[in-house]
Amino acid sequence: MDHPAPLLDLRGISKSFGSSVVLDAVDFDVHAGEVHALIGENGAGKSTLMNIVSGVLSPGAGDMYWDGRPIVLDGPRGAQELGIRFVHQELALVPQLSVAENIFLGRCPARRGLVSFREMHRRSKQVLAELGHEIDPRRPVMELSLAEQQLVEIARAVAFEGRLIIMDEPTAPLDDHDTEALFRTIRLLRGRGVGLIYISHRLKEIFAIADRVTVLRDGRRILTRPAGEVTHEELVRAMIGADLKERLRHPPAGYAQPEEALRVEGPIRFALHRGEIVGLAGLAGAGRTRLLQSLFGAAISGVDVYVNGRAIRLRSPVDAVRAGLALVPDDRKSKGLVLGASLLTNIALAGSRGRFLIRRSQERQAAREWIGKLRIKTAEPDHPVVYLSGGTQQKVVLAKWLMAGARVFLLDEPTRGIDVGAKAEIYDLIRQLAHDGAAILLASSELEELTSLADRTLVMHRGRITGELAGAQATDEAIMHLATGGVN
Amino acid sequence: MSVAVQPARAAKPRQMASLANLMRRFGPLLGLLILCGALGAASDRFLTADNLLNVCRQSAVNALVSLGQLAVIITGGIDLSVGSVLGLCCVMVALLMHAGVPPAASVAAALAIGSGLGALNGVLLTKLHLPHPFIPTLGMMNVARGLALVVSGGFPVSELPPGFRFWGAGSIGWLPAPVLVVAVMAGLFYLFLGRTTVGRDIYAIGGNQQAARLSGVPVDRRLILVYGLSGLTAAIGAIVLAGRMNSGFPLAGVGGELDSIAAVVIGGASFLGGVGTVSGTLVGALIMGVLRNGLNLLNVSAAWQTVVIGIVIVAAVWVDIVRQRAAGKGRK
Repeated sequence: MDHPAPLLDLRGISKSFGSSVVLDAVDFDVHAGEVHALIGENGAGKSTLMNIVSGVLSPGAGDMYWDGRPIVLDGPRGAQELGIRFVHQELALVPQLSVAENIFLGRCPARRGLVSFREMHRRSKQVLAELGHEIDPRRPVMELSLAEQQLVEIARAVAFEGRLIIMDEPTAPLDDHDTEALFRTIRLLRGRGVGLIYISHRLKEIFAIADRVTVLRDGRRILTRPAGEVTHEELVRAMIGADLKERLRHPPAGYAQPEEALRVEGPIRFALHRGEIVGLAGLAGAGRTRLLQSLFGAAISGVDVYVNGRAIRLRSPVDAVRAGLALVPDDRKSKGLVLGASLLTNIALAGSRGRFLIRRSQERQAAREWIGKLRIKTAEPDHPVVYLSGGTQQKVVLAKWLMAGARVFLLDEPTRGIDVGAKAEIYDLIRQLAHDGAAILLASSELEELTSLADRTLVMHRGRITGELAGAQATDEAIMHLATGGVN
Repeated sequence: MSVAVQPARAAKPRQMASLANLMRRFGPLLGLLILCGALGAASDRFLTADNLLNVCRQSAVNALVSLGQLAVIITGGIDLSVGSVLGLCCVMVALLMHAGVPPAASVAAALAIGSGLGALNGVLLTKLHLPHPFIPTLGMMNVARGLALVVSGGFPVSELPPGFRFWGAGSIGWLPAPVLVVAVMAGLFYLFLGRTTVGRDIYAIGGNQQAARLSGVPVDRRLILVYGLSGLTAAIGAIVLAGRMNSGFPLAGVGGELDSIAAVVIGGASFLGGVGTVSGTLVGALIMGVLRNGLNLLNVSAAWQTVVIGIVIVAAVWVDIVRQRAAGKGRK
């Protein structure tokens, strides 16, 4: 491919928040009619870079060129006017409005102040047809499937001279069939000369759809290469970094003891042993979060739960905590922590069942002990947790359960949104827990996490456990096979 | 260069944060003192021992109701029924004593009715999964007021036994009995909210209900308890009020829910939940009382008093938000 000037060209873009450098002299360009994949771990700087491209943030340093001309974006509006569109992971649609109304949101065609629905429906139909789909533009968006909703979002992006479309993990909620349909749409757009920036964690998709790929790590550009000239292994190494990969990758801990700590029987059945780390893999929407939250106190019909060999009744999280279960939820900010409250309050919250009066000095001392043991970086137990970093917050969640004396840990994406250094520390903590005899169920979307921690891995698909893989068997292919409904 | 600048920058926000913290703690108290100073300057009758004790006595009922309201607002909720529950309890305690029930038993019955109706609010909220506490307490507000009018026939129930009237109108030495009741209840609420695990649960529920639930806090039970307590303090307020007025008046406590909400938010609690103190709430109730009393002394008409109080409520919360923003900036 040979183009005169890239559609968008970023040179030496830097950005820092306070003292932390998020982007460090990053170069990045996209040509018209090209799909450029942008990958990197959480915290690598992808979102910041894309926020700069879409005008939400202004770069601290560096130059931006559009069609070869230097530009300065003053806010999202400026990016919009150039034709830059962002298809967000959380779709930004109004569910009660119709497909057409969503596509034309804020730009309804009007005649003498009245919306011309006929015109709107006609043009919506046309745009959708050009994308190779037929959706009735009169249908309310909430009746559509996720894949169809995404298509509406894309239609909105292209309907008004979108020239550069940023897609942030567009396949996360989609199954294989819908993913393939999305790829057809992307190829169609590419053929029409639209530039696409494609963000994904799924390397396979990169090879299937991208022309070029750029890897960011810790705010730096590590490589930019044609997708055909780079291997899976190279990308993983670029994303994780060789040294750190060594730090993260251990043989599975192997502290498993014979005693059973948790047994689940019924339509879903599995067991955890003391000191054992069991991985839980599956695509988004496979039901991992639901399983973990159900085990933590929303009874699943027909499922019996045994803790340490004794049957327990789980009517609410109160029962689960009493039985020695701990849940580290997938979203620590909305489910794991009382953000406005102090470290001390958060750490002491779960452990105070069965007592009425707060024993202040004792509690404070215990909290300090856990703060020390978990190497939680903070000066004061009275500090509100909202100001702590993601990794430190996650440690506070773990400290809460350690103080409550939990013995069975249900971890849901415990390192999501945590930088790589803190990630290694969380891994060490999880191994330490297993070493001390706790049983751990670790749900994760990151294969590396599962292979370096789990003694064995359960794979879920459509709400059921479809297979089990021993530590060494848990390869990308094997997990994908089971996670997409293959048989073991 | 930037290295040299950094420490100075880092030090200043900390000072600001602690200043903001001080303001957060003592802001309402400061407001009360300024208000008293201003009224003292405007009227020589304001800053007399008699008048100040009178203000305390007049503020007692609202202070009591506000304690329960405080607990509710800390959970992120609101209790619109307290004024009506107070009215119903007022009528009930008077009717029971007229029917020959001993005062102690009548009082116990009124307290039971108040806490029962409050707890019912909590049950409706948690078990029927009503979307917001506004709904069950709005319903209860109408039901309780209606019942107060039904059982009393719409007439005040007057002439109550002297022993009972003591708790509203009596004094121990110079100390008005209602003030003693407030002091005891405030002390109990202070210990309950600050020094018990249940109190901490209540703050946690207001801070993040889902996180509290997933940490094993029995959220439903705590909410039922909190609304029950709100009903209880409304009933205690009813005893004090009936004693002071020497009658059970079915329209007692009309607008009481709004006065109590005002006292709580003037006292620095947040409608978003998770924040609020007993001391702030007492100061908030006193600010309301002092305003009414002072404006009376200055011969400001009741109509204009209402206007002033409305402005004070909005101003107090606005100041609080400005304060919080300053604190947030100081930290970041």
